[in-house]
Amino acid sequence: MEILKLKNLSFSYPERDDEVLQQISFDVKKGEFLVLGGPSGCGKSTLIKLVKHDIAPAGRRKGGIIFNGKRIEDLPAEELAGEIGMVFQDPDNQIVMEEVLQELAFGLENLGYSTDYIRKRVAEMVQFFGLENLLARKTHELSGGQKQLVNLASVLLLNPKLLLLDEPTSQLDPVAAKEFITMVKRINEEFGVTILMVEHRLEELTAVADRMMLLNGGQIAYDGSPREVFFNVWDRRDEIFSAYVPSIPSLSLHLNENPEVKEIPLSVKEGRMWLSGINGFSAEQQPLPEAVNVRKVLSCDSVCFRYERKGENVLSDLNIDIYSNEIFAIVGGNGSGKSTMLKTMAGLINPQRGTIRFKNQKLKKIPKQEFHLSVAYLPQNPKLFFLHDTLEEEWSRAIERTNDENGNEKMNRITEMLGISHLAEHHPYDLSGGELQKAALACLLVSDPEVLLIDEPTKGMDPLSKQKFGELLTDLHFDGHTIVMVTHDIEFAAEYATRCMMLFNGQVASVSDPRSFFAGNTFYTTSINRLVRGSNLQEVITVKEALASWRVQASIQV
Amino acid sequence: MLMSFLHPFYLIAAVLLLISLTLLQGLVEQLRNRAKSFFFLTLFIVAVNPLVNHRGTHILFYFRENPVTLEALMNGFLMALSLLAILILFISYNFVLTPGRFLYLFSKILPQTALLAMLTLRFVPLLIRRLDEIKIVQKSKGMTITEGRVKDRAKNGVSLVQILLTWSLEEALQTADSMKSRGYGVTKRSSYERYTFTKNDIISIVLLLVLFAGCLIGLFNGYGNLTLYPDLESTSMGGAEWSVFVLFLLYIGFPLLVEGREQFRWRYLN
Repeated sequence: MEILKLKNLSFSYPERDDEVLQQISFDVKKGEFLVLGGPSGCGKSTLIKLVKHDIAPAGRRKGGIIFNGKRIEDLPAEELAGEIGMVFQDPDNQIVMEEVLQELAFGLENLGYSTDYIRKRVAEMVQFFGLENLLARKTHELSGGQKQLVNLASVLLLNPKLLLLDEPTSQLDPVAAKEFITMVKRINEEFGVTILMVEHRLEELTAVADRMMLLNGGQIAYDGSPREVFFNVWDRRDEIFSAYVPSIPSLSLHLNENPEVKEIPLSVKEGRMWLSGINGFSAEQQPLPEAVNVRKVLSCDSVCFRYERKGENVLSDLNIDIYSNEIFAIVGGNGSGKSTMLKTMAGLINPQRGTIRFKNQKLKKIPKQEFHLSVAYLPQNPKLFFLHDTLEEEWSRAIERTNDENGNEKMNRITEMLGISHLAEHHPYDLSGGELQKAALACLLVSDPEVLLIDEPTKGMDPLSKQKFGELLTDLHFDGHTIVMVTHDIEFAAEYATRCMMLFNGQVASVSDPRSFFAGNTFYTTSINRLVRGSNLQEVITVKEALASWRVQASIQV
Repeated sequence: MLMSFLHPFYLIAAVLLLISLTLLQGLVEQLRNRAKSFFFLTLFIVAVNPLVNHRGTHILFYFRENPVTLEALMNGFLMALSLLAILILFISYNFVLTPGRFLYLFSKILPQTALLAMLTLRFVPLLIRRLDEIKIVQKSKGMTITEGRVKDRAKNGVSLVQILLTWSLEEALQTADSMKSRGYGVTKRSSYERYTFTKNDIISIVLLLVLFAGCLIGLFNGYGNLTLYPDLESTSMGGAEWSVFVLFLLYIGFPLLVEGREQFRWRYLN
């Protein structure tokens, strides 16, 4: 039986002629776990907001949405609020109250349930989620993952039949994201709640989703079980969606001449079984590219930092040297001090002890303005970077800062290269996350900085944008910029970094080239590496590397 | 009460009782942090009052040809003590009446206003955290409010606040969506909290009312209020005055007794 029915649903925003959604029709069965994916702007977020009628965006809608046999606009407000729950992308913004307990009770209080009922429900839910220790905490003190779990619990308390999730894990680190998805799966399995989840990161979801749907340009591009979808994407040699196929199925599709849908491995376990059944790969070690002409550009010497006088050290006795011409990735768990480390290196916060040197010169001795031009910092949230009403104005201010006569030409070249020159007239807040990031990057690149410090560049990015951004980093690297980035994204670091470092407890836990770095880790590593570990094959960390070093007949298909 | 009983003995006793209360509640840190400012405030009032107020008959000395009277000095002293007592009381008040309890008390009378007040309270620390983040990011562009000419700094400051507001408004839209999607404003709100009236609460209220009435009767009969003008009254207290004083002590000291009883039980009877 279907719980949700979309019939020829079309939608366009006010004063826009183009339709964000075009004639979309599909059914969702009761108890189904459906994942919706697609590039930014493909209409997936609009779609689920239309289903949650009380927050539907303004615009022209055609076609019908039927929930449980009733048209969505005929549902009384109480029923709609209770029966369709929604968890949003940003963990912070959806929290209303100051304390966790108040936040949990918020929805139930709104619907006017009796105190006894509210207390009973909250008690049950807190047990189920294991939130006992968080109840009296202030909501802003929680980590992103905890916040998102509180948000989920708060929505579930209303007993929804359909749960909508709008990229709920895009702001979380991989461990927290996994925990969140496990919880959603439990809710789906143990309570039979129907799940409709919009998400970019399909890697974690392939094993739990019943059905996957990929949208493009407001239309359904693929629909089916994860295996079917991956097979069809591969079968059509789809360039847009090939980046959406997670690495293990992608590897198997590349290596198999005649893959069968049923045999596509999704998890490490299935992947290993598939690998053990196949022989004949001849291993060949790819030599690492040799470093030429390296010199130290940025170095931290026993750096200690804490935010409060009596607080704990965020960075304690940190020593690291960054060399010219490398893409240096800093990975590590939440709260390990990664962002703080980047900010100290950017000279934005001063360490209490230790020194930071730029080209063997103490940071304190370099004029600030000059330093910021040669060591540029791209924040995690590029929105905070912009002051002016249009990008053009922002760019011209950036040119002024460099005192460069040819600044204008240079900026034109850069915006052309980044593909954002047509956005000059736009207001920064009208851009998508990726565009905003590039616009900020343009401001930094105009001063031709030696070092680029980038904080979490791939957060919330769809796989294709991520791939493009990675290629951009590689280009910048070839142009002679040293890049230091902080990232949660292990796969991204493995693919594009030339050296990786793990920060743990404010200190360097390990640092080396990606291959030996990830090969040495058991948990904190790519899924391809986990797949091939212990097999008779050459150890590799990415699909690309596997295809290059395992000389196989399938190379024609790459 | 603290503003009507203008008598040094009463007020000194009240200040001492309230300090003991805050200490007993474990608010040592809060009290210590404010001690300095409280001290200077008191000193300021005591010093300034006689300079602007020249009423009274007991002239102590002349300051720039203006008489400084004992009455005015005493008046300043009493005002300062009264204010001090109220300030200390507020430390304890903030500890006891948390925002949640505040919301509960007022949500029956003014539900929307109470929730708005809550949201605003949450917003203040949020805005401060966001401003810090903006400051760091903008520092990398050379926008700072800690260096340079005052004019530039002020201009930069305005720009920072401008980003803060645009950004926060944008984020607040999402908060609104989240509230709406959980049925905010659909029906009359109920509450998770249930503060029930116990027998102890009723006894406490009755006792407090009796004490309050006793104090008031004393006050109307001219006790507990030092006559300053035209001629300073002696601070010594007679028989009836003492009984009013005891009632006043019990009234102000009531929370201390309640708190003390709990702590005593906890420590010795467990």
